[in-house]
Amino acid sequence: MGTIGEPPISNGMISIRGICKCFSSNSVLKGIDLDVHSGEVIALIGGNGAGKSTLMKIIMGIYQPDGGTIYLNGEKVNMSKPSVALAHGIYLVPQEPMLFPNMSVEENIAIGFTDKKKELHTRIVDIMSQLGWEIRLDRKANTLSIAEQQLVEIVRGLLRNANILILDEPTSSLTFNEIKSLFQLIEDLKKKGICIFYITHRLTEVFEIATHVAIMRDGMITLKGLVTNFTKEDLIKGLLPSEAKIKNTEKSEDEIEYSKLEPVLEVKSLSGYGFRDIDLEVYPGEILGVAGVVGAGRTEFATTVFGMDEVKSGNVLLDGKDITGLSTRQVLDKGLNYVPEDRYLNGIFKTGEVGINISSAFLRNSSKFFLNTNAEKNLADKYIKDFRIKVTGQDQIMGSLSGGNQQKAVIARVLSTSPKVVILDEPTRGIDAGARCDVYAIINQLKKQGVAVLLISSDFEEIVELSDRVVTMYQGRINHRFNKKKITLDNLTAASFGVYEEGNDHEIGE
Amino acid sequence: MKLVNRIFKAREISSLAFLIAMFLIVGAVNPAFLQTKNLFLTFNGSVVYILMAVGIAFVILSGEIDVSIGATLGLSAAVSATLLRNGSSWGIAIAAAVAVGVIIGVINGIGVTVFKVPSIIMTLGVNGVVRGSIYVYTNGKWVENVPFDFKSLSQATFMGTLTYFLLGVIVLTAVVHLILSKTKRGKYFAAVGDNVSGATLIGIPVEGTKVAAYITSGIFAALAGLMYVSRVGFVTPTAGNGYEMKAIAACVLGGISLTGGVGTVIGAAIGSVIMSSISRVLVFLQFSSDYDNTITGILLIVIVVADSLIQRRLAEKARRKRLSARTLEEVGGGSNE
Repeated sequence: MGTIGEPPISNGMISIRGICKCFSSNSVLKGIDLDVHSGEVIALIGGNGAGKSTLMKIIMGIYQPDGGTIYLNGEKVNMSKPSVALAHGIYLVPQEPMLFPNMSVEENIAIGFTDKKKELHTRIVDIMSQLGWEIRLDRKANTLSIAEQQLVEIVRGLLRNANILILDEPTSSLTFNEIKSLFQLIEDLKKKGICIFYITHRLTEVFEIATHVAIMRDGMITLKGLVTNFTKEDLIKGLLPSEAKIKNTEKSEDEIEYSKLEPVLEVKSLSGYGFRDIDLEVYPGEILGVAGVVGAGRTEFATTVFGMDEVKSGNVLLDGKDITGLSTRQVLDKGLNYVPEDRYLNGIFKTGEVGINISSAFLRNSSKFFLNTNAEKNLADKYIKDFRIKVTGQDQIMGSLSGGNQQKAVIARVLSTSPKVVILDEPTRGIDAGARCDVYAIINQLKKQGVAVLLISSDFEEIVELSDRVVTMYQGRINHRFNKKKITLDNLTAASFGVYEEGNDHEIGE
Repeated sequence: MKLVNRIFKAREISSLAFLIAMFLIVGAVNPAFLQTKNLFLTFNGSVVYILMAVGIAFVILSGEIDVSIGATLGLSAAVSATLLRNGSSWGIAIAAAVAVGVIIGVINGIGVTVFKVPSIIMTLGVNGVVRGSIYVYTNGKWVENVPFDFKSLSQATFMGTLTYFLLGVIVLTAVVHLILSKTKRGKYFAAVGDNVSGATLIGIPVEGTKVAAYITSGIFAALAGLMYVSRVGFVTPTAGNGYEMKAIAACVLGGISLTGGVGTVIGAAIGSVIMSSISRVLVFLQFSSDYDNTITGILLIVIVVADSLIQRRLAEKARRKRLSARTLEEVGGGSNE
């Protein structure tokens, strides 16, 4: 039933041709072609920022494409808004369910229908019994577990006679049994001829339930076809950047001699919300990479160490002293600093001057009541020069800087507190190539100064280039550790997607 | 059993309990309060607040706020009272008042949805504009000499004690409740306030719903203005000043969440009775009724703070549950082949 390659505007239930999308100057989708037929489950995989969610939002009419066309059963359809997509039988089940928390299950499913209440009730009960589910329809949505909410979302889609169902990482917050019942459901839907887009980060699931697979990287589909045509290794290869680029990634640094060092940060079986039993230590002058996919619990781990969330159990030691459960302010004073993932949300004072942004962390340490303006200026000047932050002057407004220069300023601010440990969370996300090199240089400089760096990144090339050791996180746990020799894109990708097998290593120089 | 459960879960019940408790306590201190005649006076006196609270409930349910309803009441009262005094028919006066409400509602709605002005700022600005135009329209003078027949309307009673106004407001509240809870479009209001992105995703016209909410709020404030004219008999330029706080407090007291999505207009009506009886209660307890606004404000803040603390805890709990579900239970992750 499946066709690979590109037939003319085909008999596909949905055919996508040449979809492009830019956000400001950032090209997110670069001409996507895809056909899905009745009864097919197409697994859409790819790293973060590959464009999967954007593509789905375009299909759903939430975003408008800059170019390209969507055909449904051979007919061109202009998805101008979600209600158009809904009317054509497309339904998106978002990663985080979007029910109305204060309505009952039944109200949530039936909202938007004008049919008689009794009729709707019968239809809902019919669908639920066909699927073999039992959820009390009068329960409020905010009492449901995530899995139950997802089931409600799916029933909502089915009641709308959806024949194209988009599931965005449906298993990311489900437990094992819930996943089993979801897969059972997908099998049923397959038989009913419904076509399903299945976005996932877990390669094992692809082989379990998908009929087809498409891999996206940098806004393009790099590989697609029947699942049976591929092995796990093929998929991992598809996820990796092109060969040429890999060869360019060289690592000149020598290995650190750990036997002579004392770890500056020790994490001992730390558990919190979103991660569990994390054990690691970071040495001075070392960059420890933390790889993984979004939702693996890396950011939650970092923010918990930084005192922003509650520790469930375990310990964090800084220089041998227990800092578990201290407030962010106290953790900062002890010498640990964190550069957040989302600098717009947590990192910058957008309408403030660059100089103020750089010196603001330093302010707390100068004890006088009035600000020492000169010291501030000197500090900012030093970092603007050292980090090559491109500004017209200290008084330029932070929000008007490019992403790369903002990030440099944020890192500068962190360094002005002379920390012993720095956690960098996705330090180069959304930054252009030039600035990226500068940031790498800054990180390496930190390392030389003896600062311990914990580098969280979904960009594995970055981790390969910078890290001395790497741990990978998968579903909230550290599932593998790699020493310098074994840090390769292949290994990190496989481990992050949960399919790394010991002994299958790709050592450098192989 | 199911019905009993539902009744106890309903947020309106706690406000009804509050109302009854308040009446009983005041009655214990001063038994005159519980005399039938006084009770009916209390209820009859709450019609203006009930109308305003039911109207603003649409806006609050959909997650926004409207602080211009006090001024809307004032302007529609001034306009209709002037028309009546100058000999226009009731129909024209009522139509003019409603038109005032609709226009103000449309302006608020467009400002909030199209121009994305935060609703508190938009409606605060409109409040100033409308209040100012009352002064311009009346030259700062009172509108007096409203025809006697219109004034006597508020005194007309059904079976001796219940005014037609109160009866009408009760019926109206019940009808609005049915519309909000039983019809497709009625449910959109709470849906938009409950989860905007979810509403967009299933094709609910979010902006249209919000504009409709503001228009409804404006119309109800205008109707309240008409009742005000009939009950008071004259209109000062400050008529309705501060009523918006009473109406918002009434909604909150009646179980409508300021974050949107939760509550019923029946709760809002119960809350209005509480709000409008506070000044009367104070008199019966031999306090000065000057404390009225202070108490209203305190009640408002206390309830909102308590509510938001509870909501925040629930949200945090849900977030943690979600994060915990992502974590592998078994040791030695990774190997799920």
